[in-house]
Amino acid sequence: MKKLSGYAIKIDNITKVFYDAKGKGRVVLDNVSLNINAGDFVSLLGPSGCGKTTLLRIIAGLEEKTSGGISVFGMSPRDARVKNTYGFVFQDPSLLEWRTVLENVCLPLELKKVPKKKRIEIAREKLSLVDLSAYEKNYPSELSGGMKQRVGIARALVTEPEILLMDEPFSALDEFTKERLYNDILRIWQKTNKTIVFVTHNINEAVKLSNKVCVMTTNSAKIAKVAEIDIPYPRKRNVDFINKVSEIKEIFEGYFYENI
Amino acid sequence: MKTSKKLISLSVWLILFVLIWEAAAMVLSDILHDPLAEKKVPKLLTIAKSFLENYQVILNQSFITLSYAFSGLLIGTALGVILAITLRLSKTLEKAVLPYLLASQMVPILGLAPIMFGLFKNISACRVAICAYTTFFPVSLNMLLGLNSVPENLNSMMRVFGAKKFQIYKKLLIPFSLPYLFSGLKISAPVAISASILADTLSAKDGIGYVIIYTLYGAGTAGQFWPAIIVSALLGVLSFFAVNFIEAILLPKKIRVDEQ
Ligand SMILES: Nc1ncnc2c1ncn2[C@@H]1O[C@H](COP(=O)(O)OP(=O)(O)OP(=O)(O)O)[C@@H](O)[C@H]1O
Ligand SMILES: [Mg+2]
Repeated sequence: MKKLSGYAIKIDNITKVFYDAKGKGRVVLDNVSLNINAGDFVSLLGPSGCGKTTLLRIIAGLEEKTSGGISVFGMSPRDARVKNTYGFVFQDPSLLEWRTVLENVCLPLELKKVPKKKRIEIAREKLSLVDLSAYEKNYPSELSGGMKQRVGIARALVTEPEILLMDEPFSALDEFTKERLYNDILRIWQKTNKTIVFVTHNINEAVKLSNKVCVMTTNSAKIAKVAEIDIPYPRKRNVDFINKVSEIKEIFEGYFYENI
Repeated sequence: MKTSKKLISLSVWLILFVLIWEAAAMVLSDILHDPLAEKKVPKLLTIAKSFLENYQVILNQSFITLSYAFSGLLIGTALGVILAITLRLSKTLEKAVLPYLLASQMVPILGLAPIMFGLFKNISACRVAICAYTTFFPVSLNMLLGLNSVPENLNSMMRVFGAKKFQIYKKLLIPFSLPYLFSGLKISAPVAISASILADTLSAKDGIGYVIIYTLYGAGTAGQFWPAIIVSALLGVLSFFAVNFIEAILLPKKIRVDEQ
């Protein structure tokens, strides 16, 4: 199933320091290295504030690293971004309030100057994927939080990006919708061989979806471990699954005790 | 529901005003037997009668005032929007220009008129320029406020989907700022009318402001004074509602910054 076309994203000893108004530095990422193969479904798993969003923003070229190297298909993240390599699902939905749902989903295609008829056709297709066809004429302020999140997912998919970056896309959703979107996202991944970087703080979600889980812990600002998950899809809650979940839990606990 | 409430309170105020006015007029002329009563506070019926006698002159002159105000408003708005966008493009420029922009507003219109006249050597251009000058500032400042209020996450969203700089302006910054622009216009439009009326009185020989001054000094038709005053006040109010009306047509309800 996996393409053997080498690294999609190569992260080399990246450090990110945020400076506050007084010039005091705060290390959010400390010498993080990570290689993501083309076609990988990688989860960044960690508690709140551990730097998951920051890492994702650096990959997307939205944030500058303080030191270290990063390349995306051999390009700088900025160049990759300008070449429409990314789809991005934001932690908050980041929709434009004055555009209808359909117009919001069309936006990335509009920026690429895709003809109107074509972009509406594609946008409708993605909207039906997230089950929002009935709401295409509504404004974001008329939708629930979970519905807005689904609009964000549809928008990230319209350009058929090679790399899909998702920042806790499912955390605002109910269990039923979540299960369905898990299946949809897995189907999209398997069909198109996209590279997916998926941020979550939910261990089950990470194990259910990804083939690699990067465990990040709060205090160290490092990736504690990259766990490979080779359970075949579709993954059920069987013994293998539960063992994997507890294995990852133990990584967190190990760090927890070390830091006492 | 909300508008009907507004209408009721407006009519209550109007009725109260009329009653008090009539009472004052009655006291002056019928109880105090003031010989100048007709000039100080004439009965409303008298004003109405003189309006009917002079309406052609008054409406013609109002139209002249209004067209100067409108031209000035258009030019001032265009310049204000251009300046706001320029300042947004360069933070250093914003820091350098903004204090002077504020200081420029300290120059009173009365002091400005001779300068403008010296500059343009043409009374019509001078009148337009005065109106433009007074409207420019609230428009520009509000627009800049809007441009600077765009949340960072929306900016990131546009960038990640490969938006070029001008696309970010066209599809995010400017639409986001339109409600701010309109709140600037709601201040500017009545101010433009006032400025235009003032400009009439300074040097011109027409306009509603000229009618007011001319009749106030006892020349011309005395009966024109009060109708002219009332019509000028109405022009200011009307301009405010006109801006509201245009806003209601142009902006979808969802994004209007609602007053109160
Ligand atoms: N622009 C910024 N300026 C200063 N500090 C920042 C900035 N962005 C993030 N941080 C800090 O970096 C740390 C990591 O933030 P980040 O948003 O990456 O966390 P996260 O893992 O995504 O958390 P969550 O799960 O809550 O979204 C936090 O302590 C945060 O305060
Ligand atoms: Mg986050």
